[in-house]
Amino acid sequence: MGIAETYTRGRQFAVTRPGSVLLALVGVVLLFDLLAGLATGQHSFSGVGSLVWDGLMRGLVVGLAGIGLSMTYSILNFANFAHGDYITAGAFSGWATTYLVAGLGRADVGALLLVGAGGSVFGGSLGIGVTGTPLAVLAGILVSGVVTVGLALFVDRTAFRPIRDADGITLLITSIGVAFALRYLMQFVFGASVRGTTAQPPAVGLYLVDGFVRIDAHDVALVVVAGALMLAVHLLLQLTKLGKAMRAMADNEDLAQITGIPTERVVRAVWVIGGGLTGVAGYMFILWKGTLGFNDGWLLLLLIFAAVILGGIGSIYGAIVGGLAIGLTASVSVIWIPSAFARAAAFFVMIVLLLVKPEGLFSGRTTA
Amino acid sequence: MSADTERDPPSGDGDVSRKTVPDREGQSLLEVRGLDAGYGDLQILTDVDMDVAGGEYVTIVGPNGAGKSTVMKSIFGLTSHMGGTVTFEGEDITGLRPEEIIHEGIGYVPQNDNVFASLTVRENLEMGAYILDSVPQDALDAVFERFPILEERQSQKAGTMSGGQQQMLAMGRALMLEPSLLLLDEPSAGLAPDFVDDMFDRIDAINDDGTAVLMVEQNAKEALRRCDRGYVLANGRNRYMDDGDVLLNDEQVRKDFLGG
Repeated sequence: MGIAETYTRGRQFAVTRPGSVLLALVGVVLLFDLLAGLATGQHSFSGVGSLVWDGLMRGLVVGLAGIGLSMTYSILNFANFAHGDYITAGAFSGWATTYLVAGLGRADVGALLLVGAGGSVFGGSLGIGVTGTPLAVLAGILVSGVVTVGLALFVDRTAFRPIRDADGITLLITSIGVAFALRYLMQFVFGASVRGTTAQPPAVGLYLVDGFVRIDAHDVALVVVAGALMLAVHLLLQLTKLGKAMRAMADNEDLAQITGIPTERVVRAVWVIGGGLTGVAGYMFILWKGTLGFNDGWLLLLLIFAAVILGGIGSIYGAIVGGLAIGLTASVSVIWIPSAFARAAAFFVMIVLLLVKPEGLFSGRTTA
Repeated sequence: MSADTERDPPSGDGDVSRKTVPDREGQSLLEVRGLDAGYGDLQILTDVDMDVAGGEYVTIVGPNGAGKSTVMKSIFGLTSHMGGTVTFEGEDITGLRPEEIIHEGIGYVPQNDNVFASLTVRENLEMGAYILDSVPQDALDAVFERFPILEERQSQKAGTMSGGQQQMLAMGRALMLEPSLLLLDEPSAGLAPDFVDDMFDRIDAINDDGTAVLMVEQNAKEALRRCDRGYVLANGRNRYMDDGDVLLNDEQVRKDFLGG
């Protein structure tokens, strides 16, 4: 391992993978700019720390919501555009439950069930939060999961199963139709207004060099719930018979059938698990950001697709890592560019990374 | 390493004829009668008869496109059924789906993509026993004893193994349910020449332990040498049926199907 050899190998790499080298260069320039900014006091350490923390939280939401999408993609071979509206459905059903449990007796039941449509009830005035009304939040999480499982199974039965053997485009277009139907049904029932859902949660400031990084109770709740669910999915896929069957089916559906794996039952299990995760992700997303509107899931879906594609579509680990990458990019990019371009930056990073590694970060790894 | 197992030809008549049903009625494990089948609207098989007795070793040979693999797939419920019947252990299994047929005691090893590449060796074997409540330890031990390499490589991803090892894994997976009939589609395809003999020895061993084998092989001469009985298929129809070595020594069969 002489210097000459290292040099030759480096040159070879630069010639064969110019994209990677360019990317590394851009990274170095950005890092240098950041360090210079920190040194001159243009950026504060705590400010950057806050952006990173915010990015991690966003990444957890995107990653958690992406698992379901990736699962259905790997087993059913189509990109489900209704996934974003499953997220919204989970959010509305869960928050209606939370409002009901927290506000029963203090406000009109109808207004509570409609999550304060038209400004009839405010989550803040009910004191909703993980510390203020823990039971209401827990009930909301459970209901969001259960309702979304039901929704996913119902839609599969009525819309997707009859065309199971059709090609991916047919399924994809069907799912766009389902997405519109769901979204405007929810707008019709719950109204188009964006409402605040939570009271200000208690927070602690972590001291970082020159200031504080604020971490509130809802950040912590998100970390706990998302972490636990991701771990649970991992264990399910690696250790249980069902999880192995799901991976086998994602790998080779024809062989799965020949082997005697009941493929329709596995599909149903995928909708149950994917739907449950998606609903809970929707609930946690709203808990974390504190507002709820009928477009939330749809808007998040673009980031989820970016994350899932970046991670290598079909891999749940890719979805998690891709989610964190996209979330961090969207947050941290405001160090260098105006915040209006934060989303664009996330997509830009996705495109660039795919140019360098077209198969995604986790392609060829364990899927399901 | 090849202990060539000389087989006594089963008693029966020795002349090559166009008969399609063996003279051993009554002890048949698999009975295919007048099978018409294909893919979609395209008919491949016409009036195919085929029999496998318990513990018998039967090969199907014939030119490319003769419908050899289609016979296997049709038995296993993977084609469009257009006529005729498939009976297994006296029970009509015509038109059943693969996941139902596997319950009857038939194992199938397809030619291509026959392992779950991203699963480990052990997980592949566990999937072979999916329909059982738990992984049958004795069957697993038997597979490991038969293919020691699989035990060594238990936690390796199947897709990273060599072609021959993947073929062993595919057979091992099919043997997890201890089927009474094993369908093998071109088990020697894609193997390095050194390993072909080894693969045939292993199939002999599986058959010696009592599992009936129905095999499609490109390597027709070797397959006929080793089997009990052979079928020659052409254009989706039965052409010849007889004991393996009788077919092997028949001039017409040699000239038309075995390259002289």
